[in-house]
Amino acid sequence: MILRSVVGLIYAFLLLPMVIVVLAAFNAGNYFTFPPQGFSLKWFANFFQRREFMQALRLSTELAVWTALASTVIGTAAALPLVRGRFRGRDLLNAFVTSPLLLPQILTGVALLQFYTLFKMQASYAALLIGHIVVTTPYVIRTVTATLTHFDIALEEAAQSLGAHPVRAFFEVTLGVIKPGVVAGAIFAFAISFDNFTLSLFLTSSKLTPLPIELFAYLKYSFDPTAAAVSAFAIGVALVLVLGIARFMGLEEFTGF
Amino acid sequence: MTRSARVLLLGPYVLLLAVFFVAPLLLMLAISFSRQSYGQLEWAFTPQHYVHFFTDAYYLGVLGDTLWLGVLTTAVSLLLGYPLAYHLALTRSRAKPLLIVCILSPLLVGIVIRCYGWMILLADRGLINETLVQHGWLAKPLPLMYNKFGVTVALVHVFLPFMVLSLTGVLKRIEPQLIEASQTLGASPRRAFFEVTLPLSLPGILAGSLLVFSLAISSFVVPILVGGFKVHVLPMVVYEQVLSVFDWPFGAANAFVLLVISVALIAVYIKVTERALRGIV
Repeated sequence: MILRSVVGLIYAFLLLPMVIVVLAAFNAGNYFTFPPQGFSLKWFANFFQRREFMQALRLSTELAVWTALASTVIGTAAALPLVRGRFRGRDLLNAFVTSPLLLPQILTGVALLQFYTLFKMQASYAALLIGHIVVTTPYVIRTVTATLTHFDIALEEAAQSLGAHPVRAFFEVTLGVIKPGVVAGAIFAFAISFDNFTLSLFLTSSKLTPLPIELFAYLKYSFDPTAAAVSAFAIGVALVLVLGIARFMGLEEFTGF
Repeated sequence: MTRSARVLLLGPYVLLLAVFFVAPLLLMLAISFSRQSYGQLEWAFTPQHYVHFFTDAYYLGVLGDTLWLGVLTTAVSLLLGYPLAYHLALTRSRAKPLLIVCILSPLLVGIVIRCYGWMILLADRGLINETLVQHGWLAKPLPLMYNKFGVTVALVHVFLPFMVLSLTGVLKRIEPQLIEASQTLGASPRRAFFEVTLPLSLPGILAGSLLVFSLAISSFVVPILVGGFKVHVLPMVVYEQVLSVFDWPFGAANAFVLLVISVALIAVYIKVTERALRGIV
């Protein structure tokens, strides 16, 4: 009983800032007070009317789509030999391909900024995209690996012994079975890219600002609830994505418990 | 799987990492040993920036504060994360998927947004202070933000899900029979927890703590927004040196100090998680 109420309070702590942001976005006043000062959509109207936010939203969405596509293809391909291959140095390679996930992103960001500047690639769309692919691909490798370890290789061998080319056997048998992991990986990659702040901060310019960077810049100078509307919108996107992962892979499988 | 198939499948990502991850990090190492005069980088091999960092009281203080905030964040996350993970690992409730959504969704909500939520709550004219002052319970606002308190609260909030994920994985693998056995042998539930469950979950505690600590000491968004540039931490110095002062060699040296600490922690983390998986299953 005590455990349950303590746990309830901790969940409240976890959700509190998000709930507050959403409430502030729909609140009529300039400051969020309790009780709220009435319902209003004007902050959302302001968000959708401001050109810089709309451009940032478009850039973020586009970037997240390309990142998700690229990292899903690259990550799924890489996961196959990592799970099935029997070769020396596999564990080391496994650690190597997931290292961008473990290294603090500020370090990857600084290193990439200096690297790009030296090669005159800084603040370009391609540079930003490559950075995002580097940090999201390990997530795809993880989710695909999780489903691939349950996969019975005999299925694919059966397809091959019936005359299917290994490539065809993969696309028609294996891919069908590991699809949940692939789709969940793609969704997660999209989410990570869409919300990425730390890496993007080092790779953007005034002409190339994704939504989290635009929001950060806005918050440095003003405190009005337009930022809350932008945030509430992003929270909505995140919720849809979590539900997507739940639908395709199942959250217990995704988190490993 | 043939060798050529392996190379074909793994090649693209390994190549991408070699060029856009390993090479940039090596370049950063080289820059940290170089000189810069009038904004122009000069290749050299001098330890001057590291000497500067480790002999200047300001930077040593920043390093100390960074590590201290990391310890604080880790301790509070563990304290809050353990009951959450324990409950999640044992619950048979139908609401379990919903609980997982509650833990996962903060992870998918950007860090700027979560900081902003705390800013609305903790600011001098924020929700908490405004409410307390309006009702006359307080004469003037409490200093909840722009200090270590606010930064720690927000850091715990940002990294708590990682602690819960690490702990739940380990707690879930503990055989319930072990706990039942200890109780059949006469142990009280409290004693069974402290003598069976807690020791068996140590690998998870260690893994979660290492992860949260390494994430907390490398966070700079929280100190900037919730700390309002008043709480100085190492990653913030890196950010300022690289993006405002444009002193790249010194910024790179700072980054490398952070990198060495992180890599050491990650190495222990990998060892611990490997052993945790082998030891309990």
